[in-house]
Amino acid sequence: MNRLRVIALILILLLCVLFIYIAEDIPVFGDPGAPPIKCVELFTMEVDQVASLLDQHILPEKLSRELVKRGFPPPSRVEKIPGIEGEWNALIKKEEPHYAKDEKYYWIRKEGDKLRISRYAFVVRWIEKGLEETAVLNMVTYGLADYRGYDTLGEVTVIFTAGISVILLLRRRSRL
Amino acid sequence: MKKKEREKDVIIETVARVMIPFVQLFALYVIIHGAGGPGGGFQGGVVFASAFILYTMAFNLAGVRERFPESANTIFSSLGLYIYAGIGLLAIIFSLGMAQYLNYGFIPFTSHFEENRALGMDFVEIGIGITVMAIIASIFFDLAQKERNRKEEEEEEESRSWSGSSQKSSQSTTTGSSSSS
Repeated sequence: MNRLRVIALILILLLCVLFIYIAEDIPVFGDPGAPPIKCVELFTMEVDQVASLLDQHILPEKLSRELVKRGFPPPSRVEKIPGIEGEWNALIKKEEPHYAKDEKYYWIRKEGDKLRISRYAFVVRWIEKGLEETAVLNMVTYGLADYRGYDTLGEVTVIFTAGISVILLLRRRSRL
Repeated sequence: MKKKEREKDVIIETVARVMIPFVQLFALYVIIHGAGGPGGGFQGGVVFASAFILYTMAFNLAGVRERFPESANTIFSSLGLYIYAGIGLLAIIFSLGMAQYLNYGFIPFTSHFEENRALGMDFVEIGIGITVMAIIASIFFDLAQKERNRKEEEEEEESRSWSGSSQKSSQSTTTGSSSSS
């Protein structure tokens, strides 16, 4: 019994430490450049002649081989981010119906003699393409009802279930 | 003994009478305006339900039950969910074999894919608003009904204990009846 309490206390303390770490680590709310919002880092690779190929908008064979080896979709083309030296976007072909354009998918940047390759978070498309894809001004609404339509259907179902449970528990007349 | 009539408060009743239409109009505005500005189905539904709650607090439960009966309440609480799922089903039917559930762009409201998505979102918000309104109102009515039943029982018990018969026996009978019901 006593040992159980000690274990429980240790677990609670661990949870506290974890939450303190999360509170320190969480990005500033509303910062679009924060790492978890903008991108997820995949891997780094050596810069040899890859950077010069990327600068000429040519897709290096080595890069796409590396991506396919790790199980990611192969990029279809590369373009330089205008105005910034040493950063590129790689685009992939989209398989969604009705949107035939390529989607911005990988973010490649040069840091010293390493090439850092990241994948854009979904939110980037949400923020940049939402208005032209859905013709709705409110970012929250098209997130809630369109991109996350399944979630909202589930939320409404939760509310409906709560109401029916209250009816069944409180009315007690065995009818709805 | 007959239950004592609740005394009327002129100020509360007048303010409620003026406020309720505006509260309902504002709720409809919040639901419809969800696509263009702040708002949406959840918020608008709760605001609409608050109009019923205001009516109940200012007048009585029987009046609001006359205007918004239990059967209508139950129908509305599932109607919104049916609208939402039905829009998804329409998207499956009109996407012609691609099975795009809840992809509103394929439902031919207009000729533009993006406009279709916006309109589909509006209908979905209306569905959410109906369900949330009916469920919040239903929960409030159930709780209020329960509270009123309890108060009536207490008053009955008091009147019985004052009307001459011995206190102990009446208490035991009332507790027995309440536990059995």
